Amino acid sequence: MGRDNGTRRWDALNPGGVAVLLAAACLWEVFVRADVANIQFLPAPSEIAVAARQAVMDGELLGRIVHTVGVTLLGWGAASIVGFGLGLVLGLSNTAYRYSMTSFEVTRAIPPITFVPAALLIFGFSLRMELVLVIFGGVWPVLVNTIGGVHSVPSELRDVSTMLRLNRWETVRKIVMPAALPEVVVGLRLALSLCLVLAIVAEIVGNPEGIGNGLIRARQALQPALMFVYVIVAGLLGVVLNALFRRAVRLLLPNGTVHEERSW
Amino acid sequence: MVMAVKRPQRNNRATNGRWFDVLAGLSPLVVLLTVWELVGSPDSPFYPAPSAWWPALFTRGQGEDIIPAIIDTSRTFGVGLVLATVVGVAVGVGVGASERTDRALGPMFEFARALPPAAIVPVATLLLGFDETMKVAVVVLAAVWPIMLNTRTGVRSIDPVLLDMARSLKLSRAHTVGKVLLPAVSPAILLGVRVATPVALVITLLVEYLTGVSGVGALVGDAQRTFQPARVYALIVIAGLISLAVNSLVRSLEQRVRRRHAGGGR
Repeated sequence: MGRDNGTRRWDALNPGGVAVLLAAACLWEVFVRADVANIQFLPAPSEIAVAARQAVMDGELLGRIVHTVGVTLLGWGAASIVGFGLGLVLGLSNTAYRYSMTSFEVTRAIPPITFVPAALLIFGFSLRMELVLVIFGGVWPVLVNTIGGVHSVPSELRDVSTMLRLNRWETVRKIVMPAALPEVVVGLRLALSLCLVLAIVAEIVGNPEGIGNGLIRARQALQPALMFVYVIVAGLLGVVLNALFRRAVRLLLPNGTVHEERSW
Repeated sequence: MVMAVKRPQRNNRATNGRWFDVLAGLSPLVVLLTVWELVGSPDSPFYPAPSAWWPALFTRGQGEDIIPAIIDTSRTFGVGLVLATVVGVAVGVGVGASERTDRALGPMFEFARALPPAAIVPVATLLLGFDETMKVAVVVLAAVWPIMLNTRTGVRSIDPVLLDMARSLKLSRAHTVGKVLLPAVSPAILLGVRVATPVALVITLLVEYLTGVSGVGALVGDAQRTFQPARVYALIVIAGLISLAVNSLVRSLEQRVRRRHAGGGR
C-alpha cells in the first residue's frame, strides 16, 4: 500500500491504463459502427469528438462553462462562509449545540434534491433559484465538518490557551481554528463537488443557462453526441475543480495540515 | 451528504438526559414551524402554512398515489443498492487483488466515476427509455464507487499471512475468497455500503424527479409543475422521513455487525 502513496496521480503516467481506456473507446466506436446492439441513440466516440469541436468553435461550450463554474464558486464561497461561521458557533458553544443540533440533523437528512421543486416554486426559473440551491446544499458539509473539527481540538490545547491567558477571541483564532482546519478543509472539498452537482441539477430543471441547460437542450434536440460532450465536460469540471482545490490547499496551508487520500 | 457526523466526546449521560438533548435540539425547528404556521396562510403560493401540508397530500383524490410511490422509491433504492454492492464488491476484489488489473482499469474507472449522476440521467433516458431499468441503472452507476473503492482498499490491506495460511492449507480459490478474503474485507465493504446508502437514496429521488417515471421524486415534480406548494412541502417531509429511516436502519445494522466482529478486536 505504502508504495503508491508517494506517486502523484499524473506523475506516474500509467501507459497500460491509458491503453485500456483507448481500447475501450475503439471498441465502442466499432460497436456503434457495426450496429451490434442496435441502441438507437448511442453516438460513436468520433461523433462526440466532432460535436465537441463544433461546440468549442462556436463558443457555446465556453460560455456555458463560465456560467456553471461561476455559480458554483459563488455559491460555494457563500456556503463556506455561512457553514464555517455557524459551525464555529455551534462547535464552541455547548448550549447552542444542545439546543439546535437535532434540528440540523433532521433538516440535513432531507436530500437537497427534494428542495429543488420548492426552490423552483419560490424563485422561478432564475439564477436566484440556482444560487439558493447551491448555497443550501453546500452549507451542510462545511457546517458538519467545522463542528467536528472544533470538537476534536484536544483539551490539552485548551489548557494551553488558559495557561497563556488568551482571551476568548485569541483562543479561537490561535488555537481552535488551526486545530480544526484539517477537518474544515475536508468539508470545503466535499462542498465544492456538491455545489457543482447542484448547479448542474438546477440548470437541468430550471435556470436556462450553463452546462446543465446545454445538456437538456441537446437531449431535446436529439443530438446525443452533443449531450455526451456536456456530460464529459461536467465530469471534467468536477475533476479540475477538485484538483485546483487540492493545489490551493497545498500552496496556502502549511505542509502536513491535510493528508491526501488517493483513489487511483 | 457523504460524511459522518462526529459527535462530541463527552461522558455518557443518563439516558433520559440524552432524550432531553434530542428534544431540546428540536426547538429551533419547532419555533420555525410555529412562526411559519402563525404568519403563513394556507393558500400562500410560496410558503403555505404547515397545517395545510398534510391535507394537501389527499386533495383531488391524490391520496392513493402516496403509498405506491413510497414502495416504488424503496424498490428502486433497494435493488440499486444491492446490485451496486454485488458489482462493487466483485470489481473491488478483482482490482484489489491484482495490482496489474488495478493499473490497467484505473484510468477508465477514474473517468467513469467523474461523471456526475445528474448529468447521466438525460443520457440514460435517451438510451434506455423511461422505465424502472433506467432508474436502477443510474442508481447503480452512482452508488457503486464507494463500495468498490472501500473493498479495494480492504483487500489491499489484508494481512498477507492470512493468504499464506490459505495457501498452506491448500484451499481452492473459491474457498480462499469465501472463507478468508470476504470475511477479512467485510468491515471495509460495510463502510462502503454505509457511504453508498445515502447516495443511492438521493440519486433515486433525483432520477424520479428529473424523469417523472415513478416514486416519491416523481410526485414532488408533479406537484411542483401543477403548482401545489403545500403538497410539495408535504412530500419533502416524506422524503426526509424516508431518508431518516434509511439512515437509522443502516446505523443499527452497522452496530450489530460491528458487535459480532468485536471478537476480532479493533
